[in-house]
Amino acid sequence: MTVQHVASTSATSEVPKTSVWARIWQQDAPGYLFLLPWFIGFFGLTLGPMISSLYLSFTKFDLLTSPDWVGAGNYVRMFTNDPKFAASMRVTFFFVIFSVPLKLAFALGVALLLNRGMKGLPLYRALFYLPSLLGASVAIAILWRQIFAGDGLVNKFLSVFGIVGPSWISNPNYSLWTLIILAIWQFGSPMIIFLAGLRQIPQDMYEAASLDGASKWRQFWKITLPLLTPVVFFNAIIQTIEAFKSFTPAFIISGGTGNPINSTLFYTLYLYQEAFGFFRMGYASALAWVLLAIVAAFTAFSFLTSKYWVHYDD
Amino acid sequence: MTFRLGRRQFLMGTSALMAAGAAGLTPAFAQGATMRLIFWGGQSRADRTYGVTDLFDAATGNKIEGEFLAWNDYWPKLATQTAGGNAPDIIQMDYRYIVEYAKRNAIAPLDEFVGGALKLDGFDEDQLEGGKVDGKLYGISLGANSVATLVNTVAFEEAGVEAPTNDWTYDDLMTKGEAFAKANIRNGMKMMADGSYSEPMLDNWLRQKGLALYTADGKLGFGADEMVEWFNMWKTFRDAGVIVSPDSQALDTGPLETTMLVSGKAALMPSNSNQLVGFQALVPDKLDMVGYPRLAAGVGGGHYRKPSMFFSVAETSANKEAAAQFLTFFISDPEAAKILGVERGIPCLPQTRDVVAPTLDEANQIALNFVANLGDLLGPLPPPPPAAAGEIDLSLLRVIGQEVSFGARTPEDAGPYFVSEATAILERAS
Repeated sequence: MTVQHVASTSATSEVPKTSVWARIWQQDAPGYLFLLPWFIGFFGLTLGPMISSLYLSFTKFDLLTSPDWVGAGNYVRMFTNDPKFAASMRVTFFFVIFSVPLKLAFALGVALLLNRGMKGLPLYRALFYLPSLLGASVAIAILWRQIFAGDGLVNKFLSVFGIVGPSWISNPNYSLWTLIILAIWQFGSPMIIFLAGLRQIPQDMYEAASLDGASKWRQFWKITLPLLTPVVFFNAIIQTIEAFKSFTPAFIISGGTGNPINSTLFYTLYLYQEAFGFFRMGYASALAWVLLAIVAAFTAFSFLTSKYWVHYDD
Repeated sequence: MTFRLGRRQFLMGTSALMAAGAAGLTPAFAQGATMRLIFWGGQSRADRTYGVTDLFDAATGNKIEGEFLAWNDYWPKLATQTAGGNAPDIIQMDYRYIVEYAKRNAIAPLDEFVGGALKLDGFDEDQLEGGKVDGKLYGISLGANSVATLVNTVAFEEAGVEAPTNDWTYDDLMTKGEAFAKANIRNGMKMMADGSYSEPMLDNWLRQKGLALYTADGKLGFGADEMVEWFNMWKTFRDAGVIVSPDSQALDTGPLETTMLVSGKAALMPSNSNQLVGFQALVPDKLDMVGYPRLAAGVGGGHYRKPSMFFSVAETSANKEAAAQFLTFFISDPEAAKILGVERGIPCLPQTRDVVAPTLDEANQIALNFVANLGDLLGPLPPPPPAAAGEIDLSLLRVIGQEVSFGARTPEDAGPYFVSEATAILERAS
């Protein structure tokens, strides 16, 4: 835009304004128009409810009568006088700490196998992805029961060796592990992402390493893993968030109770019980915000430490 | 309580019944109203219910749109709709929630319609009382039921142990159970499921002691000593192999398929009279029904005829009178009665019972006879439980019961702990 142009148009007072608006309209409006569905969704279905949930977290609200302001009461009770909150925290952290690394290791292992250029790759890829599509359904609950109950598959196998196993799924010492195994079994989406990452690694690096006499094992540690760290990082963040949010497996398998002895009482399941079991919407909202803070802290921590172990190939 | 049902009575009073039926059919009120109905239950209940709404629509020119959900999903949905000012006109209501909904004016008192759109002549008095809150009528009982022990009769024959009767005691549970375990049938089937964290069983046991789960003012009706005794009693059964192991019992997560009776791990299980039909559909062996065990021979009063569920009308409904008319039709129309059977419990109108009785299959007959002949097992209807009762059951009794059964807590420790935690929950909720 030249000075002269501005000067000439400012002679008539209304023209520049309209032309600026017209330009915005012509240039940007189509973009915003395309974004409109997302805006409506974001403001109406995400931001709006989030703000009201933030408000509700400072109230006592039972759905039937209007909310009563209780200040920070919900948060105070949570951290000072709620054994179930503490129990659900322990269960959730245990689940995250064990399920995420094991799931990622498993997904990477399978991706490495599939990346060796075998025949029928699309078929195997689809098959391995299948468990992730099944999600946590009633069918899975029944399947898991058939596998891990006292007279289930696992114990039938163990009995061959003369071992009498407990009912894994309903014993408080093991029940959470059956859910961790369920999470690991649904390794499809990190596997696909790993597979894509592995394809990005230049083959000539392996060729050079082979010529230098590096073993496969050494190649994995010195080439594959370092070059894959951005993908590992991405998968770790996504899977950690998923694990914190995990709800349906415990809900389905324990019938919504988190039993035996609260051993599968995931944080989200406790939140659900408070909200829809006992109609304490205010307290449940506070629980939700604490979960958000924990997940945000975890993610921030991951990003801060990432510069020490994630190698971006510039 | 004068609920008695002999075979002769079934055949009597046919003309009275026709008159009562005709009253329900008269389209004397506003036609063309569209009403929404919401209830919990499974497909079988839905089929029956919609059969009746179709009849009602055809007879009165109104239109009822039904919706049904499973119990666990029902209450969040109803609470959400009520909070949004969008409650259905006709609401299936439970004894546990009726006080809460009535006190918050979410459901309407129906007294003004009694004798008009709502015809309740001859309605069982105790069932009518069960639907009242602070003296006003908020719910019409759709049937009576009682807690009951379901019996796998074939397993008892195989074990060579005589199946229990209504006279059986907790001592019998022990002696019969030991004989049953010794017989070692069906891969170590036990005689009974673990009832130590079954709220109705604890309630029944307390009532026989002259106590109650909750008092009329919503406080805990018993102390730590009773709880210690209760957990110790079940520990004795558990240690003797009379009841199922803790990790078997923990497999029961609610659905009928997961229960000890259906999975074949026990021959006896605490349940409700109206559920025999549902269980019989899943168990190939013939089932029967007896009361919960007595404290000692001759001690009764633990059972009561509970209104299995109610129909209530939303305070916000624009068609309260037509809704009341539907309730009358639902409980008294003979054709409706034939469709409904005793799936929601034993009907509360004598003439409806008379229509229903001859149409019942064997399982339903057993349920009806059981509820009709409770005798000295029967005690008064307890007051509705306080709002926090559900929480105490779900997050306290079941968890502590499991802790004791798995040996993570001793009965001596569990008793006082239960009482102090339950008291805290009740205080927080009030």
